[in-house]
Amino acid sequence: MTTFDVELKDIVKEFESGGGRVRAVDHVSVQIEDGEFFALLGPSGCGKTTTLRLIAGFEQPTAGRILIRGRAMEGIPAYHRPVNTVFQDYALFPHLTVEQNIMFGLQMEGVHKREARKLAAEALEKVRLPGVGRRKPHQLSGGQQQRVALARALVKQPAVLLLDEPLGALDLKLRKNMQFELKALQRDVGITFIYVTHDQEEAITMADRIAVMNDGVMLQVGTPKEIYERPGTHFIADFIGETNFIPATLKSREPMGFGQVELLDGTHICAALSNTLAATRGPVTVAIRPERIGIAAKGTAQAAGEETALDAILVDSQYIGTDTRYTLRIADSVDLVARVQNVDDRKADAFAIGQSVTLYWHPSSTTVLDH
Amino acid sequence: MRQNGFLLALPTIAWLVVFFVLPLVIVLVVSFMSRGRGGVAELPFTPAHYERAFGIFSIILWRSIGLAGLTTVVCLVVGYPLAFFISTRRRRLVQQIALFLVILPFWTNFLIRTYAWRILLGEQGTINGLLLSLGMIDEPLTMLNTQFAVLVGLVYGFLPFMVLPIYASVERFNFRYVDAANDLGANDVRTFMRVVLPLTLPGVLAGCALVFIPSVGAFVTPDLLGGTKGLMIGNLINNQFGGSGNMPLGSALSIVMMAVVMLSLLVYVFANRRDAGA
Repeated sequence: MTTFDVELKDIVKEFESGGGRVRAVDHVSVQIEDGEFFALLGPSGCGKTTTLRLIAGFEQPTAGRILIRGRAMEGIPAYHRPVNTVFQDYALFPHLTVEQNIMFGLQMEGVHKREARKLAAEALEKVRLPGVGRRKPHQLSGGQQQRVALARALVKQPAVLLLDEPLGALDLKLRKNMQFELKALQRDVGITFIYVTHDQEEAITMADRIAVMNDGVMLQVGTPKEIYERPGTHFIADFIGETNFIPATLKSREPMGFGQVELLDGTHICAALSNTLAATRGPVTVAIRPERIGIAAKGTAQAAGEETALDAILVDSQYIGTDTRYTLRIADSVDLVARVQNVDDRKADAFAIGQSVTLYWHPSSTTVLDH
Repeated sequence: MRQNGFLLALPTIAWLVVFFVLPLVIVLVVSFMSRGRGGVAELPFTPAHYERAFGIFSIILWRSIGLAGLTTVVCLVVGYPLAFFISTRRRRLVQQIALFLVILPFWTNFLIRTYAWRILLGEQGTINGLLLSLGMIDEPLTMLNTQFAVLVGLVYGFLPFMVLPIYASVERFNFRYVDAANDLGANDVRTFMRVVLPLTLPGVLAGCALVFIPSVGAFVTPDLLGGTKGLMIGNLINNQFGGSGNMPLGSALSIVMMAVVMLSLLVYVFANRRDAGA
């Protein structure tokens, strides 16, 4: 039997709120492997930070069990858990120097002062911030404080590092750089990272696996590719990236995870079914990403073999630099967005507004979701 | 603009010069003069009053400093947890009610409240009566007219001055730091000593100064509750200026007391600066 680094078993967390009870985490179960970069992704208030705080031990679950390295965490206070946290606002102690901040956790373990000082200096090297040990946190920039927070947690060599939107307070460019650095650092130290973020792009670029949460429920767990290409629910497809939703009726299921659906105008197309699709027939939604839709002038036989082809009218086009965004009407009230990369000059304005075109895509580019 | 600013401050400066600096200089001069008929000051100049202040009266001086110090310590030990409790209530209304209760005693005259303690602490007082009727003691305890009674009265009187600044400090304290300290392996005691206390120290220092300074010079409380055993420097000064007193001696004692207060303020400023700078 494999033991996981972190295992959540049917976790429920409720808070008292104005006389009522609010369920922040609703029956969450997940297993996180050793050395994994695991992202908890969801909009604010979805329960991702509460989940992190439960693992850290700042909150106790209302029901369910938490295991870290196979050990049950009931009754074990935060200060005895083999995890460390990088807080959203860093929570660096303002009355201590950078060095004292990093040494704090070591001294709590009884590490001798001289040894702690040496380890603190090494930790600062590791986050590429040597020589700031004597400064106070407020004398550092946001990005530097972020690195100190990271060093303070990593110097403890935890089994699991918990990160609560650690890049949230940084500006865009710095955030991009830090994403790469964090990922490299994680590979380097080999510690399991549990990373809370509301930024889907951040989760997709950094994580080995992503758990998408909404309203306290863990909706789907999978690799970034699975989450992006085979979203399990309407919410996920909408939350992650841009998606077209086409109302349809499921007519029949076919082998290999495909099905026949009928669009509003009566056209039948073949589409890939979501793994978690409950419906066997009846109203469903077909999701397709804008970059998966190809456009051809009507009559030019671009749609090959098994590809789906649909007639449409171009109602709008928008040049956005790398891509051009086309708005295409397939039925009376259904508009799709397609993104075509501007790989060559002529393509950018290849189609005129009002022109009849043919849209084509491979059935596996679609996902049929419950309505 | 700079001159306008000076003009704005002028009334205050004038007030302070006339009613503070000038009297202070007079007191300083008088303290070095001789005692005349009826206790008034007259020439020649003499250091005799200071010799007495540090001589036979030094026991009362030290008692005042000791009682004020003890009052400060007790207020801190009682007031810190109370302030912490109030400022960590989730509901704003609960906080406001609790703070209201802390300052509620101010609605009654201080003299009356101190008299009330005489009734509580007396030989036939409420506390002795209760203990006797419960059979916990056989004879009434002597509490009134002791230093203990003075301590109780001072703590009672000045506790709000400790609670309020600490409350303000804890209110501003970011409890994320407690999470961070716990996360780094500090248990609750160490978290308090290493993180919470240092970060709420400005409130603690302000509270200590606000309790210690008026306690040193207190005279109503020791007068009513301390009798002769609980006499403090404030009473001594008070006596020198009434009836057949000794104004030069009273002045000298006032200067000595002021020096004690100034010293404690220096400690306060120094501690605050070290806290901010280190």
